[in-house]
Amino acid sequence: MKRQSLLKEEFYLKGKVEDCPIYDLHGHMGPFYGAYFPYADISSMKRIMDKVGVKMLAFCHHYALLSPDIGNIANVEAVKRFPENFRAYLLINPNYPEIIEKDLEAFSDYSDIYVGLKLLPDYHRIPISNIAYKKAWEFAEERELIVLVHTWGSSIYDGPEEVRKVAEKYHKVKILIGHSCHGEWDKAIRLTKDFPNVYLDLCAVLDDRGVLEKFVAELGSDRILFGTDFPWFSYYYYIGAVLGADITDEDRRNIFYRNAERLLQKGINN
Amino acid sequence: MYDQYFNLYDVNLFIGCPSVKGTSTPISSAFELLRELDEHSIKKALVWHIAQHDVSPVIGNELLSKAVAESERLLGCWTILPPQTGEVINESFFLDMKKNRIFALRVFPRSHNFLLNYTVFGDFLNEISNRKIPLLLSLERGIQWQDIYNLLKDFPRLTCILCDIGIWGVDRYTWPLLESYPNLYLETSLLSLEAGGIEAVVRKFGAERLLFGSGFPERYFEASILQLLHSEISESDKEKIASQNLERLIEEVML
Repeated sequence: MKRQSLLKEEFYLKGKVEDCPIYDLHGHMGPFYGAYFPYADISSMKRIMDKVGVKMLAFCHHYALLSPDIGNIANVEAVKRFPENFRAYLLINPNYPEIIEKDLEAFSDYSDIYVGLKLLPDYHRIPISNIAYKKAWEFAEERELIVLVHTWGSSIYDGPEEVRKVAEKYHKVKILIGHSCHGEWDKAIRLTKDFPNVYLDLCAVLDDRGVLEKFVAELGSDRILFGTDFPWFSYYYYIGAVLGADITDEDRRNIFYRNAERLLQKGINN
Repeated sequence: MYDQYFNLYDVNLFIGCPSVKGTSTPISSAFELLRELDEHSIKKALVWHIAQHDVSPVIGNELLSKAVAESERLLGCWTILPPQTGEVINESFFLDMKKNRIFALRVFPRSHNFLLNYTVFGDFLNEISNRKIPLLLSLERGIQWQDIYNLLKDFPRLTCILCDIGIWGVDRYTWPLLESYPNLYLETSLLSLEAGGIEAVVRKFGAERLLFGSGFPERYFEASILQLLHSEISESDKEKIASQNLERLIEEVML
C-alpha cells in the first residue's frame, strides 16, 4: 500500500531524514510588499533549512525580483554568506534591457553563485515569448541552463500557451515551470509530455490535495521538482503534503532530492 | 505514531461530494471519514457537510446530522441563513442543535447572498455570543476580510473561528483582529503553510488562539500535522493547539 511510508515515520519522529536531503529549487528571500514573513532573513532561513535537512535552496531575492535599483547583487551577496546551501537564479526583468545585457555579461564570473535564470512575467507584465526575453533565452539555450519561469494558469504572460511557444523554440534549456501553470494542471502535464526539457515545480501546488498524485500517475516522478517559495511556505507543510500524497517512497525520494541532484549536477559541480 | 505526543481534534473538515469536483477525492460518508481519522490518529472532529454550501443549508444540515449521529467522535457544525426567512433558524433551533450534537455554526454570506451584519442578525448573533457557540468563517468560501472586520465590530464578544485563512500570508489581516477581539481564533490548516506562521502567532498572542485543522479532504492531514509536530513552540502549547483549546470551546457552549 502506497500510504505506508518509512519516510513519513522518520520525518514525524525526527523532523529530518539523514539519507533523504531536500533540494528546494524555488525559493526567495527578504521582505515583500504583499505579505509579512517571519523568516525572511538569510540567517533565519539557514537555521530552518538545517533543522529540516534542506541541503540546497535555489532562490531569487525579492529585491532582485522587484527592484531594478538593487538588482542581482542581492542574490550574489546572499549566496556568498552560505555558499554550501544557497544558489541563486539571475533575475531577468525584460523592462530593463540594459541591465539584462550587463548581468548576462557578468554571469560567467559568478559560476559559484548562479544555477540559472529566473523569469517573473506576471509581475513584469511582458509575455515570455516576447522579443524582450530573446537574449536571455538564447543565452540559457547556449549554456543549457535551468530557467525557472513563474507560470500560472490562464495568464497571458506565462500561461501554458506561452510556455509552449518557448518550449517549441528552445530545446536545450531546462525549463522549470514554476507553480506548474497553477490550476491548468492538465496543460502542464501535456507540456511535460511534449517537451523533454520541461519540468514541473510543486511550489503553490501542494495545498491542493490530489494534484501531485495526478502528476505522478500521468508522468511518473522523474521530472517533478520540489519547490516551496520559502520563506513564503513552510517546509514541514510541504514535506507533509508529499508524505500524505498517495505515491511511493521512491517517488518521494525522486521529488525531494534525486531529480534536483540530476538537474543541478553541472551547476553545483562547477 | 504522533498520538503518543498529543491528541488531535480537527476543527475543519467536511464530508460530502462537492458539486464541482476538484483534484481531491471526496469523503462521501461518516464511515469513510472515520477510517481516515483512524489512519491519521485523529481522535475527534468538528465536521460540516459540503452540501451546506453547495446546495442549501436546509438539506446540508440534515445530511450532516445523519453523519454525525454515526459516531461519538464526530461533532457537527450547521450552516445558518438570515433568521427572517425562517429556512434554518426557527423557535426550536437551539434545542435541535443539542439533539443533533451540533456545537458550532458556519455562515457563507457572499455565496448565499446576504449581508453578515447587525441589521440581518442582530438578536440572533447576540444570542450566539451569549451561548458561546463558535461561528466558523471560511476565507475560501464566500467571505471576505471586510465582512469579518464589520461583523466583529458589530459583535465583539462573538466566539469566531477563522478557517482556510488563505495561502499568501495574511498576518496583516489576522493580527489586528487577534489583538482586538479576545474570542477570535485561527484554524491552522493554512496558517501551517506560512513559514513560521504558527510560531509567530504563539509568540505574540499565545497558543490559546489557535485550533488544529486539516482542511481535509481538500488538503492533506500530514501537512498540518507535521508542521505542528515540529513547530518551535513548547509541548504544552502544541497540546493546546492540537485539542485542548477546542475541547474548552466546546465545553463552554450553552445549548
